[in-house]
Amino acid sequence: MVFIFGFNFTDATLVKRSLETFYGIGPKVSRSIMARYHIHPYAKVGTLKNATVMDLTAELSSMKIENDLRREVQENIRRLRDMGSYRGRRHAMGLPVRGQNTRSQITTARRLNKIERGGSGRVQM
Amino acid sequence: MPPPPASPWPLLQLRRVCRLSLDRPASLPVDTRACLFARPQTAKTACFSTSPARWANPSPKKKGLVAAPKRGTRTLNVKRGKRASGQSTARPPAVGERKAQRKRVVLSNNNALPVPGLVDLDKSNALSDDIRGHVMGIPDLAVDALRAVDAFKPTQGWRLFRRPATLIRTETARLAGLVRDVQAPAEGQARATVRRILTGDRLSGKSTLLLQGLAVAWLQGWVVVNLPEAKDLVNGHTDYAPLPGSRPAQYTQDTYTASLLSQMVAANSALFAATRVVTKPTLPVPLPATATLKQLAELGIASPEASWPVFVALWAELTHPGRPPVMLTLDGLSHIMRESDYLSADVKPIHSHDLTLVRHFVDHLSGKVPLPNGGIVLAATSTSNAPSSPALDFSVLLAKARARNAHPSHTPTWNPYRVVDQRAMECLANVDTLNVSGLSKEEARTIMEYYAQSGLLRAKVDEKLVAEKWSLAGMGNVGELERTSIRLV
Repeated sequence: MVFIFGFNFTDATLVKRSLETFYGIGPKVSRSIMARYHIHPYAKVGTLKNATVMDLTAELSSMKIENDLRREVQENIRRLRDMGSYRGRRHAMGLPVRGQNTRSQITTARRLNKIERGGSGRVQM
Repeated sequence: MPPPPASPWPLLQLRRVCRLSLDRPASLPVDTRACLFARPQTAKTACFSTSPARWANPSPKKKGLVAAPKRGTRTLNVKRGKRASGQSTARPPAVGERKAQRKRVVLSNNNALPVPGLVDLDKSNALSDDIRGHVMGIPDLAVDALRAVDAFKPTQGWRLFRRPATLIRTETARLAGLVRDVQAPAEGQARATVRRILTGDRLSGKSTLLLQGLAVAWLQGWVVVNLPEAKDLVNGHTDYAPLPGSRPAQYTQDTYTASLLSQMVAANSALFAATRVVTKPTLPVPLPATATLKQLAELGIASPEASWPVFVALWAELTHPGRPPVMLTLDGLSHIMRESDYLSADVKPIHSHDLTLVRHFVDHLSGKVPLPNGGIVLAATSTSNAPSSPALDFSVLLAKARARNAHPSHTPTWNPYRVVDQRAMECLANVDTLNVSGLSKEEARTIMEYYAQSGLLRAKVDEKLVAEKWSLAGMGNVGELERTSIRLV
């Protein structure tokens, strides 16, 4: 078990995969983080040296990810709603914001367009 | 066409039936009904009956069958941990087992017959011209060494035969000639460094020629170093780290280097155990005084972080005056003639030549760094697992034109509209090729007789069969010859 940024990962997890579990880190960001610390694309968490794990954690703490990022996104949406703007209202109603048709498929909008976007976050160990 | 004259009978019959059906009582006596339909006799008895099926007990429901999904419902079953019916419940193979199975090299087959009169290669006969065109056994110790450096490939047909043996073909003899020239240079000349790229068609035996070269060199007491698969160096599967103090940045691959060191120790164990360190290497790990090369290499194996300095120190030892020549080989050249899958700190792809091990090989292949005690640097191209490398293709064409002293108007020129990998082009500028072509008919006959003696080819090996198989194999392509004569028969 390896702790990265306060979360626990099994040794056999890919570093890329473990980084991408954090809200705000996708393929591109994980790629650049791994390149910065010279971690090869198929590295597993168990093979990292302790110093590298510490570096990763330090790097992640300096980034706006997880709850900080969630909060920012939610505040942006809330601001729109409080202004009473059309986009804010559409968010509040769970409907498409950018002029899409609503006759048939708006599943993505239903899933994502809400004030509490991104959920409440993972529980940190 | 006029209609046929209507017969009154069917009309009459129909009317009678209609009439009767209207005013017939609820239950007609049987004989009346019978006489009504007396004309069509076939309607009286049914040729089959549905009663047994209708009155049979309801059949038990088949297990595992579910009703077809309703329209518009989701049918994709993505629940984890739930197996679909009919799927095997056997445990999947353990971690690494599949890869081990894939990479397994089998070198003997007890069902194949031992070939009588099979002579082994040895130090004296390996370089002689007498064995040209013969199948020679590879001695057990050499097999161990070759296995240690991963020279045998799982795709080759070693598993079919009783023990490893190999045909000394024209190209092998030519390679042995190069070994001989390096080993015994002309009077007053230093030992040369021979550099060659092995080219040839698919299945023409390039990797096997590499193995034969390694075997011959090992038998002569040379140091053999083999990079079995160039792809493994550049595909981003082993760890890498920047080399401190290098400018432009170079990258070491510690785990790979450590495993290469262990392969070198296993293959050259006698030499490494007998030779003492004479240079004074500066290493991050303490080296005992009067250590042997084996002890030096084991430092790198034990602590992979130190493996690159150890490799450099070991190479300095191997190229120290008075040491044997070196055979340095690599398979799959085009993989290292392009950018690797590794990324630098500023998220730019690292060129393969910036990886220290690749750099080491490429420097020797290009002739930038000679081997002071002489030696041969061989790089085999691959045609089945090769990323496109226009620079390599062009350099090979150029080398072939150079070899036949082509007129400048017949030498290939680079298409200026193609993007060129300048580094690859530079390092391949002065390397000659050794082309592996098809077997001659005599060689084909020899190897087919060997197949027959091993009990794998159950036919009389005569001129007709040899000619047939030789032609089927695309004018003696050895891999195809093996396929046509023993793998499919």
